[in-house]
Amino acid sequence: MFDDPLGAGGEPPGGRQFLLQAKRLRKTYGATVALENADINLSSGSVHALLGENGAGKSTLVRILAGAVTPDSGEMLLDGRPYAPRSLMDARSRQVATAFQELSLVPNLTVAQNLLLPRLPKGRGGIVSARETLQRGEEILARHGLQRIDPAAEISNLPLADRQRIEITRALENAGQLLILDEPTASLAETDWLFERIDLEIRKGVSVLYISHRLAEVREICSEATVLRNGSSIASVDLSDASDSDIFEMMVGRKAGHARLSRRTAPDQGGNARLTVQGLGGHGLHDIGFSLQPGEVLGLAALEGQGQQALFHMLAGLLHPVEGRIEIDGKPVKLSSPRNALRTGSGIAFLPEERKTEGILSGLSAATNIVLPVMSKVSSASLISGRREKAVAQAAADKVEMAPRYLNFSIGELSGGNQQKALIARTLATGAKTLLLFDPSRGVDVGTKQSIYTAIRAFADEGGAVLFYSSELPELVQLADRCLVLYSGRVFSTFERDDLSEQRLVAAMLGHAKPEIAERSPA
Amino acid sequence: MNLTGKTTTDRDRFAQAGDARGSARISRETISTVSVAVLCVVLLMSARLINPALGSWSQVETVLVLGFFLVILSFGQGVVILTGGLDLSLPATITMGGILATSWIGAGNPAEWYLLPAVLILCGLVGLASAIGIIWLRVPPFIMTMAMSIIVASALLGYTKGTPRGSAPDAAVALMKGEMLGVPAPIWALIGFALAGWLFQSRSVYGRYLYAIGTNMDAARNAGVPVTAMRILPYVLSAMCAGLVGISLVGYSSGATLRMGDDYLLPSIAAVVIGGSSILGGRGSFVGTVGGALLLTILGTIISALGMDFGLRTIIEGSIILIALLLLREELFQKLRAMGR
Repeated sequence: MFDDPLGAGGEPPGGRQFLLQAKRLRKTYGATVALENADINLSSGSVHALLGENGAGKSTLVRILAGAVTPDSGEMLLDGRPYAPRSLMDARSRQVATAFQELSLVPNLTVAQNLLLPRLPKGRGGIVSARETLQRGEEILARHGLQRIDPAAEISNLPLADRQRIEITRALENAGQLLILDEPTASLAETDWLFERIDLEIRKGVSVLYISHRLAEVREICSEATVLRNGSSIASVDLSDASDSDIFEMMVGRKAGHARLSRRTAPDQGGNARLTVQGLGGHGLHDIGFSLQPGEVLGLAALEGQGQQALFHMLAGLLHPVEGRIEIDGKPVKLSSPRNALRTGSGIAFLPEERKTEGILSGLSAATNIVLPVMSKVSSASLISGRREKAVAQAAADKVEMAPRYLNFSIGELSGGNQQKALIARTLATGAKTLLLFDPSRGVDVGTKQSIYTAIRAFADEGGAVLFYSSELPELVQLADRCLVLYSGRVFSTFERDDLSEQRLVAAMLGHAKPEIAERSPA
Repeated sequence: MNLTGKTTTDRDRFAQAGDARGSARISRETISTVSVAVLCVVLLMSARLINPALGSWSQVETVLVLGFFLVILSFGQGVVILTGGLDLSLPATITMGGILATSWIGAGNPAEWYLLPAVLILCGLVGLASAIGIIWLRVPPFIMTMAMSIIVASALLGYTKGTPRGSAPDAAVALMKGEMLGVPAPIWALIGFALAGWLFQSRSVYGRYLYAIGTNMDAARNAGVPVTAMRILPYVLSAMCAGLVGISLVGYSSGATLRMGDDYLLPSIAAVVIGGSSILGGRGSFVGTVGGALLLTILGTIISALGMDFGLRTIIEGSIILIALLLLREELFQKLRAMGR
């Protein structure tokens, strides 16, 4: 069905013309390969979807097509002529325009100014004419069905959804050939306006590249799709021919099953939950509820930006929930800071997302980095005992199999893997009974990953509870006793250990309520 | 642990390929502390070549007595800088300590034993006010402390109506003019203070927290450091140190003036920077700062002994800060970028 519609080049079936052809695009950032070998062919006047899980290379491909990033190798043809944009404006001169997911509007300028930048209408003497700008802005808004937005309003005063509409409108104005929409519905509640605009563009002969996490939406508006996985194009399919499970499988691949870590004890379901969350909301979350038992490793799966950061920050005391309650050991609590979270009940220890900017304290030694939350354990009368600091750090470092000689090093000089081990050792050293780990094995090598998994498992086997988010599906399947899927700020579905598979997770992460493959199968 | 043999060998290979260092390298702080100490000795020796009166033991005594003020002051400035701030209110707070000591207490006042600590606490409140402005009102440190400086200086001008009265309290005179075992009392005080300052900054839990905050405030918060309390502390300490210097200064010169603190701001920052601290916070040691303070004091005595203009000293101190900033340029830009994000 999708044997090789790619790379064959030439003409698309049905005699239509390719507007854009990109071949063997590659982009690396240092040692990280963001895009390995991406091909994409867009037919004229069609809406083409770009699908892939986190880190598949969607954003990099979008940036290359938009002119924001130059590929290391590969070639692109637009309308039959070579296309190698050096900047966004360069791309715009070829009538390619992009509406970015992270909006690229200037917040302290008006709607009209943002729509017309960088070419504001000039009046007499070459001075920018405010009246003309406003009038032209108003015309553009009217043309795209947004009369209700005041062209003189400052962008920062608009609600997020309207800012997104302005971002899209600006791209619509400039896209004579190709319109790229990166997650255009991320903050739009309804899609009617957008799909109407897209229909009009197609009728004008413009091609649209549509990137979205929401498969239902993709099916509604797109006719073809290219699936990316690990930086390479896996397939290009006609959406009417491909079932949802086909697509999920292409996104995840038929990977060999990972051995699950054995578990000595089953989570204790009888006693008090370590952590209970009820109706938690605010900061993009709605009605989050779950409980975490002693001895349980609970996974959290979500595509980027579904509210996982906010949830972790609330549980770590960095964000205040707008509604709902958090209970530790069955008692309602208000967490005011990570320090407070550590000291409340049996304690919550937090591993932040970004190792370099939120985790390590680079000038200090690895040992100090580990014992920082428990200074009282290593000091008397506020004076630190070097011997006790070493001993406490050592005990924690052993659990993650970190070599003792690294403890004296300034942590900034250690490899990423050892830094991550030290940070996990820190959460273990706190003595907290609940760990909150945000992507615990992000960017570390295979050996380190195994050490981290072993440490997490051992912690749970001793009665600790773990909530971890991971951007890697195999990790969730391998490590979690149970897995929640977060979608649009809600707990979308929950998988028990026996029901966990990468395909099912992907389906749920894309917001598929009851895909056929998520049915419980005997085995 | 229950890992298979294969994973273990893999891991060993990673460890070997990654890193084979046996111990941590010598820190930047150690290097600059040693070089400042060497520079101090060299400067004292070479001063002797210029003028035999310089570099003698009595000259060393003078340097240590004069250095007492700067060491205390740069301890306070140092802990503020350590957390990534800057205290520009030192001159006004020094003057406040001096003027309150002379006009409230004066010589022969029996209530001295509780009034002196009260003066220090009042100075501490100036620091607390700065900290509140910086933390909750989010005013940049240099603007907030400069504003506090102007407010305090103006209040003092109003309070004294332009002419400070009174005399130095007995305790302040005893501290500055006394002698123990043939060594001037301020030198003992200097040694004691340096020891306490070193313990606080390098060996205490609080010191460790301050380093963590200066390195990365978000990471420190995530690691369970009591960030708010530890951001208030440096400003309060710094203001109390300034108050102590004000009291000591009136003990040394037996009177207060409205401009008695003015010459101390630049040296207090320069001493911290010369001592190897990063002006952006998170790095440095108090031992280095003591060296920096003594070096600046030696430089000052040489300049005045040679009959050169006082302005020259200010130019040297200003240049030191500028050069330190230029050397840190890359680090500074990174910090600014990080703040912009």
